[in-house]
Amino acid sequence: MKLLLHHWLQRWRMPEMRLLLLALTVSVTVVTAVGFFTSRVENAMQAQARQLLGGDLVLSSARPLDDAYLQRGQQLGLETAQTISFPSMAASGDKLQLSQLKAVSSAYPLRGELKTAAAPDAPEQASTGQLPARGEIWAEARLFAELGVKAGEQVQLGRSTFKLARVLTQEPDRSSNLFQLAPVVLMNLDDLPATELLSPASRARFNQLFAGEEKLVKQLQQELELKLKPTERIRTLEEDLSSVQQTLQRSGRFLGLATLLSVVLAGAAVVLTSSSLMRRELPAVAVLKAMGMSRRQVLRDHAFSLLLTALLAALAGVALGFVLQFGLAEWLSQFVGKDLPAPSSAPALSGLLTAIILLLGFALPQLLRLVNTSPMQILQGTLQRPRQSVWLVVACLLLAVFGLLWLQSRDLQLAGMLFAGLLAGIGLFWLLAKAFLRLTQVVGRKLHSRWIPSLGRSRRAVLLVVVFATGLFSLLLLTTVRTDLLNRWQETLPPDAPDNFLINIQPAEVKPLEAFLAGHGVKTHLYPMVRGRLVEINGQPVQPEDYENQRAQRLLEREFNLSSFAEFPSSNALLEGKWFKQGETGFSIEKGIGETLSFGMGDKLTFDIAGQRLSDTVTSVREVRWDSMQPNFFVIAAPGSLGDMPSTHITSIHLGEKKAIVTDMIRQFPSVTVIDVAAIVAQVRSLVEQASMAVQGIFVFTLIAGVVVLIAALQSQKAERRREIAILKSLGAGRAELRRRIWGEFLLLGALAGVLAGLLALTAGNLFGYYLFDLDMKLDLMPLLVGGVVGSLLVGVAGFWNLRGLLNVLPMSLLKA
Amino acid sequence: MNNTAIQTDNLVKTIPQAGRDLQILRGVSLSIDSGESVAITGTSGSGKSTLLGLLAGLDLPTSGAVQLFGQHLDGLDEDQRATMRLGKVGFVFQSFHLLENLTALENVMLPLELSTALPPHPGLPPQGGKEQIAREVLQQVGLGERLSHFPNQLSGGEQQRVALARAFVTRPQILFADEPTGNLDRTTGHEIIDLLFALQEKFHTTLVLVTHDDTLAARCQKHYRLEEGMLA
Repeated sequence: MKLLLHHWLQRWRMPEMRLLLLALTVSVTVVTAVGFFTSRVENAMQAQARQLLGGDLVLSSARPLDDAYLQRGQQLGLETAQTISFPSMAASGDKLQLSQLKAVSSAYPLRGELKTAAAPDAPEQASTGQLPARGEIWAEARLFAELGVKAGEQVQLGRSTFKLARVLTQEPDRSSNLFQLAPVVLMNLDDLPATELLSPASRARFNQLFAGEEKLVKQLQQELELKLKPTERIRTLEEDLSSVQQTLQRSGRFLGLATLLSVVLAGAAVVLTSSSLMRRELPAVAVLKAMGMSRRQVLRDHAFSLLLTALLAALAGVALGFVLQFGLAEWLSQFVGKDLPAPSSAPALSGLLTAIILLLGFALPQLLRLVNTSPMQILQGTLQRPRQSVWLVVACLLLAVFGLLWLQSRDLQLAGMLFAGLLAGIGLFWLLAKAFLRLTQVVGRKLHSRWIPSLGRSRRAVLLVVVFATGLFSLLLLTTVRTDLLNRWQETLPPDAPDNFLINIQPAEVKPLEAFLAGHGVKTHLYPMVRGRLVEINGQPVQPEDYENQRAQRLLEREFNLSSFAEFPSSNALLEGKWFKQGETGFSIEKGIGETLSFGMGDKLTFDIAGQRLSDTVTSVREVRWDSMQPNFFVIAAPGSLGDMPSTHITSIHLGEKKAIVTDMIRQFPSVTVIDVAAIVAQVRSLVEQASMAVQGIFVFTLIAGVVVLIAALQSQKAERRREIAILKSLGAGRAELRRRIWGEFLLLGALAGVLAGLLALTAGNLFGYYLFDLDMKLDLMPLLVGGVVGSLLVGVAGFWNLRGLLNVLPMSLLKA
Repeated sequence: MNNTAIQTDNLVKTIPQAGRDLQILRGVSLSIDSGESVAITGTSGSGKSTLLGLLAGLDLPTSGAVQLFGQHLDGLDEDQRATMRLGKVGFVFQSFHLLENLTALENVMLPLELSTALPPHPGLPPQGGKEQIAREVLQQVGLGERLSHFPNQLSGGEQQRVALARAFVTRPQILFADEPTGNLDRTTGHEIIDLLFALQEKFHTTLVLVTHDDTLAARCQKHYRLEEGMLA
């Protein structure tokens, strides 16, 4: 043991050993810093998203829920709360207003917080742990305006009279009630029976909220799923397909992507370093074996050195990563907030695992080849790498790369895609690099250049181009392509995204409302909307119990929105069939609903719309972006086919600074309900911004990893370069000539690597955007240009800086070394 | 006691080259006694280094047998052969092959670190450690002042002295030397050879020396000459 430690310490004199530690440390630092930080951001995002749900798990039903569920939750040690919401009229004097009554139990909300104000124009305050007292209600400002009451005045609800105590400005689970018709009135659950409002005929929604340890919540969810009645459903973060959740998923993918690239870069550095470490150790091992060292001793000696190095790197990396993530969180605090939750310990483990995988897959197999070094080589004077186990090395390498991709992405499909992309990319780089170098050889000869033709022949040049191109590819993907992707992604939520939904617009109000909005400079398009229940598919009656899928059952239980218009909705994409031409009939369906309920092109659907039947054939399938903040419909009928069906209209508008017109609008169009989604839009935007800032923070680490790869690549060829320069000097090459050669070589190689990297980054970015983020393909030559210039400068400067020391040494001493 | 250190019987070594078998050694039989100094000479490519490797058990013959310390090498795997060499066999190479990242002292200590038992060392206190032994041997080769120098800070002659110290530090029974003066100038070469023979005599080591220098070969007690893979 002491001896192994002694040898390990002796190896520190080799720059490769230090570089290996650096590469491993950087990779562990990247993984853990990113891991710790993203775990904190993800925890924060999850908490934020949970706020939107009001709890970690929500059980929801149109009928009263069994108390046994609540008791089970309490038994498991979870926090619980109940809410009951239903529309009800609120009265003050002779004025009446439809309101959404929400009676809540004392623990509400379990996640997120209520915000209130003393008066409609007073500043907002968080009401931590507070709820309306018995006999009091809180209501949205709109109710104050509609009823013409001030804070502290009386409001009648059913058989009870309440003091309207405060203005409700924010409730956590509001976004799930996007299409809420009326201002929310919050009351104490204990006051509800006295109002006598709740009857079996009330269109009430009963919710039980649970929150607590993730494991326990999951356990409860599993138990509940077995017991649920058809009318009851569970809403969790995973199941809630809200726009916020979609945003969350995208953020997670971006963050994962950024980590993967850093890890792959660090892996490249480890491969290069360990391969040059092996080259340096080769004569030593041959001599030691000649002296009588056994294969087992060689193996033990080197395995110990490597594992100890990996352990050190892991410790240093985890510690550094932990410290750095504080800096990262601090730097991004204005975007992610100052009070990020604590990170989980998992990233430390994956940091250690990363170091071990890097070592096992990338470094150890190369050094294991040393074990098979023949001591005869020392006599024959031909020190070559043992070749027999090259396939093992390659297999280990591939396995390790895939393992790392999987470890980081936790997504087999994504890992597979990235793995295939990486292999194809490197193969492509290799071929293109060879072709380009062959071309430079031809051009160089024509120009009578003394060094370009020799550059073109060099295998080392191909390796350098491939390595640099891989590094630059990652950097480019994270800079130009990332920026481009993010911009395109953010463009899907432009600043003028609708911030208000207007619903319940009566047919007679359509024209005057359009005129009113146009008069205030607000663009709009009103869509007719009818509520219908799907009753038949191809003439066969359909029932919720025909489906096992909960979503399908839910869709058949309730009515959903149908519309009818001539212009294809801009936020949709046509997947199959054709959009209606004039005079045509048919239905255009949303892809998801068709998949859930098993119908598609050519199927005949029948809806029951307020007692009238509407039948037609599916003539097109659309993909809908639910987070577009535009009115979207599962089913759109051909223009005119809704005929005289009872309909209202719906639209979404961007008001921004023109919010003041709402009061006027409500006065002129009393039946129109305005849903303010500005808060939701702001929330989605802030999540997007958090995600993009996090990716930018991670980019810094990727840059460091890229530089380490560059140094490792140069270091791995230093011995060869030293000999080469010595020979050139002995042949009479001057320092100026050598300097020119080095600059020329690295500038050219860097430019080639950069252009290739740009090409692949552009392709990969487009593929990612298209398949993972639903973005359109786009040809932008910027990455090629940026890649060429940056690659040339970066590689040129780094190459010259790394080799400049060799220019000062005398050729004799170089030959001796 | 068997006085034979190395014995070979009809050694043949063939290597595949360009799709054909190239015969490097074609039936070499020889015998080397303990404490004897033996020179193997021949032109370049005559198979000298290959023979040396086979004698030391670094490689196995295609056919024929080698006995080292009375033990047959065929049938032993690489590690068993390595264990046989441990502490009993020393090497000196043409291009020194010192470990670049170790000092002169550390290079000499290496073989001691590999073998568990310390060699008998008269005049040294029993608790005297490996470092003490290594220092002493380095002093014997005249490098007492160069202990902490790295190979690239030493001249060629000095590097070969370190290699000699490394070879003798375990008091090996046999020393294999492969063109030990090949990379040195004439004067330095003479010095190294004088030192080599002095140490050999002092420790009663069997010396197997590969060289193409006939004057050097003449200093050995026995002389084998290889021509096209056969003893002339």
